[in-house]
Amino acid sequence: MKFVGIVGTNAEFSYNRLLLTFMEKHFADTAEIEVLEIKDMPFFNETDDQTDSEPVQFFCKKIEEADGVIIATPEHNHSIPSALKSVLEWLSFKVHPFDGKPVMIVGASYDVQGSSRAQLHLRQVLDAPGVNATVMPGNEFLLGRAHEAFDEKGDLTNKGTIDFLESCFRKFMRFTDVANILNLPEDVVFEPGEYTVKALGHNGDLPMVVTLSSDRIESIDIDSSGESVGIADIVFTRIPQEIIEGQTLNVDIISGASVTSHGVIDGVAEAIKLAGSNPDILKKRPKAGSQPKPEEVELSTDVLVIGGGGAGLSAAATALQEGKNVILLEKFPAIGGNTVRTGGPLGAADPQWQNKFAALPGEDSTLEKMLHMDESEIDEEYLADFRILKNQIQDYLAEVDGKDKYLFDSTIWHRIQTYLGGKRTDLQGNVIYGQYDLVKTLTDDAPDAVKWLAEIGVAFDWDKVEMPVGMMWRRGHKPKENQGYAFIAALQKFVEKNGGQIITDTPVKELLIEDGKVVGVIAGGPRNKKVTVHAGAVVLATGGFGANTKMLKQYNTFWSEIDDDIKTSNSPAITGDGIKLGESAGADLVGMGFTQMMPVSDPNTGALFTGLQVPPANFVMVTQEGKRFVNEYESRDKLTQAAIDNGGLFYLIADDEIKKTAMNTNQAKIDKEVAEGILYRADTIEGLAEQIGIEPEILVDSVNKYNSYVDAGEDPEFGKNVFDLKVEVAPFYATPRKPAVHHTMGGLRIDTATHVLTKDGTIIPGLYAAGEVAGGIHAGNRLGGNALADIFTFGRIAGKNAAKNR
Amino acid sequence: MKLIGIVGTNSDQSTNRKLLQFIQKHFADKAEIEICEIKGLPAFNEPKDKTAPAGIQELAEKIEAADGVIISTPEYDHSIPAALKSVIEWLSYSVQPFIDKPVMITGASHGSLGSSRAQAHLRQILDAPELKARIMPSAEFLLGRSLQAFDEEGNLVDREKIAELEDCFEEFVLFVEITNALLKEHHIRKVQNKDFSWK
Repeated sequence: MKFVGIVGTNAEFSYNRLLLTFMEKHFADTAEIEVLEIKDMPFFNETDDQTDSEPVQFFCKKIEEADGVIIATPEHNHSIPSALKSVLEWLSFKVHPFDGKPVMIVGASYDVQGSSRAQLHLRQVLDAPGVNATVMPGNEFLLGRAHEAFDEKGDLTNKGTIDFLESCFRKFMRFTDVANILNLPEDVVFEPGEYTVKALGHNGDLPMVVTLSSDRIESIDIDSSGESVGIADIVFTRIPQEIIEGQTLNVDIISGASVTSHGVIDGVAEAIKLAGSNPDILKKRPKAGSQPKPEEVELSTDVLVIGGGGAGLSAAATALQEGKNVILLEKFPAIGGNTVRTGGPLGAADPQWQNKFAALPGEDSTLEKMLHMDESEIDEEYLADFRILKNQIQDYLAEVDGKDKYLFDSTIWHRIQTYLGGKRTDLQGNVIYGQYDLVKTLTDDAPDAVKWLAEIGVAFDWDKVEMPVGMMWRRGHKPKENQGYAFIAALQKFVEKNGGQIITDTPVKELLIEDGKVVGVIAGGPRNKKVTVHAGAVVLATGGFGANTKMLKQYNTFWSEIDDDIKTSNSPAITGDGIKLGESAGADLVGMGFTQMMPVSDPNTGALFTGLQVPPANFVMVTQEGKRFVNEYESRDKLTQAAIDNGGLFYLIADDEIKKTAMNTNQAKIDKEVAEGILYRADTIEGLAEQIGIEPEILVDSVNKYNSYVDAGEDPEFGKNVFDLKVEVAPFYATPRKPAVHHTMGGLRIDTATHVLTKDGTIIPGLYAAGEVAGGIHAGNRLGGNALADIFTFGRIAGKNAAKNR
Repeated sequence: MKLIGIVGTNSDQSTNRKLLQFIQKHFADKAEIEICEIKGLPAFNEPKDKTAPAGIQELAEKIEAADGVIISTPEYDHSIPAALKSVIEWLSYSVQPFIDKPVMITGASHGSLGSSRAQAHLRQILDAPELKARIMPSAEFLLGRSLQAFDEEGNLVDREKIAELEDCFEEFVLFVEITNALLKEHHIRKVQNKDFSWK
């Protein structure tokens, strides 16, 4: 039998050490006792994790390998020494080698008490859930007056004491045998068969079939067709793979998808229960695959891109087109970032295409309003463009006068709308609007971005021109299917085909800076892997900080309040990492106080794609009282403020015709959401009102009035001027909505070449930034469709310039 | 009245620190409370010369000069953190500033128990003859679910909890006054005790 004996003090001289050494010698015939010293252990601090340090790992391994542990503790101030407590804290923090381990407590002290009170404290500590040792009851060996107990050779002199120690130790040997039976892996026997259970997905329960033979999990099949493509794929492949490989339920959850990960594990556990076995046994089994020593990897490349969303992938693709080597690091297990979550179209002015569509009622009055706008409201940089726009509008209106009107657009109209839409005043009275040269670059180059995306394989739907919430004009280019995933899938394919290296699960920890130039990064990988990448240029494409509530609150100067539990439509990966990295290289930040809320988010999850999300021409927004409260086409911040002013939660009311225009859903999904209570459906408006707790007369009145405005093409109450569907064909739908964080406008200061700039406007050599991580473009409010325009415009510029290192 | 508040952990994030900061602010008109950190103090290792390092010496002087001490402890593995225990060992082994010093124990924990077991251990520890602190009896302040307990300004959210703390603190002020009045002429034993060792 093999034991380790832990000397419970770091003091140079200790009778407890002497006691353990005596035991080692005295019981050498019956057991092997290895005496371990704690003096090299680091001191515990939960905010300075040193679990991976050699001494902690050494102790962990020794204890895990031993059949049992003997701890000899002195008594300091009626308790155990801090040095021993510190060791136990390390061994209960991230690693738990004591779990189920048989432990015997002994102790020596100068006084007659023999560390009796320290031993009691030690028992209680070893009993704590993080430690969870199996401590032998009774048999307290307390060696009092220790300075008189040993002879010169270190042997105990009193025969009675030795007899008692022998008796205690014999009992401990038996106790160890018995206690370790509890630690033996239990056999599992399954009733073979296919078990249909449920796994929890993002959008609710998913059917899962677990196939079990009498002693093995053979296969796990999850029907994830109800999920948004791309987001959770990795969970549904990696977790089942690790469960089957290790025949264990002890698997690492996937960061950013913990709910879904647990959902799959719990589903398999349920199947095991149904098969008549105990899933806890499988939860105690070791993880799949061995745990190799932390690995160090060193790589070199021309261009390093940080972040695997749309901006990062287009930067990578462009740098590859320039003939350079490219590495892209993504901190999450899957690429896609926020882009994969988008359902909105890309905003770009392409008059040749848009002119083929008929104008909608109300669009001409929007244009006429521009003609009557006072020029003093326009900031100087934009004035020349504004005058050109007025000429363009006058020409257009003259041309279509008395004829069938077509849809107007121009890059300058896009630019002026971006500028006007982004101009805001914060709580402190600071006015902000988009930096002219950046907005010009965005609006001039966005049409090229669409062409470029089409060339690399994104299939756009040219038969429809879209205008989602907040876009202000119909200039949306939408992929034919799969929304945001269409961009990511096409770009990923292009990058990989052209030799770009995409490395996931690898968050960047710091930038390597030499003589003021950014020359690479240090990143961390799974299982403490260290990845160093040397690069000619580094592109930050890490997104904003929408999922970092602390940062949102720290910088906010726009909203009167940001809730601690505010939801976000963003990926949980979007935590401002690139902004911090940029700051470490001396970057300046712009417009950080301005955050966009998505007014139409799921009240429980912040997700955008539950319920019926369609162009606002097709639905009515009502308060919890059933009254309209806003022009459904208002900008996102006006909608958000209106929602906040009206109690936060509100409803989108629509009729059955809406299915034809709802880009995010299908009949099966609608039925499922109705069943789950995410969406409400009724055959009458009155019935719908009752379901959502609204007075039926009020809702009927609101709907009737709205329908009359659609007929009239004019909304005297809230000024809505673009209409499509009425609410008249049963069944009727109500989608509950609430504002959630959607986009952070502020970020690193950049120039039109995407160089990251310092406070005094100088370029930080080797560092580029594109997408939401950069600021200055959208200013106080971002138009719908402009995030995609931004990432695919500035992402490409960053890729090109980083490749040429100019 | 001058008090010292000791943050019972070396962690960068601590709701016990927050609790002491709240106490400091909330009772500013009743007592001057200086908050002391134990982060960065060296681990106790029973040195032969029995000399405390500078940081411990400094803390000991502050405690000696104060009318009373508030210790706020988290709970690690059913007991007080090693970092706090180490400081107490240093103090008991060298300067012994706790002798006859009125002490109030508070504690905050992320779970619902509010560090109850750590507080019980801390009482027993401070009761050891080489420490001989005068711990306020029959009054404890346990703050459970401490991550949700404070608002943005660091104020306790729960009014009842504030009232409880106010009662506790009022009692401590009284306890400090009475204890210090009773023990005024009591310094001889303190001197005797200075020659302490675990040997």
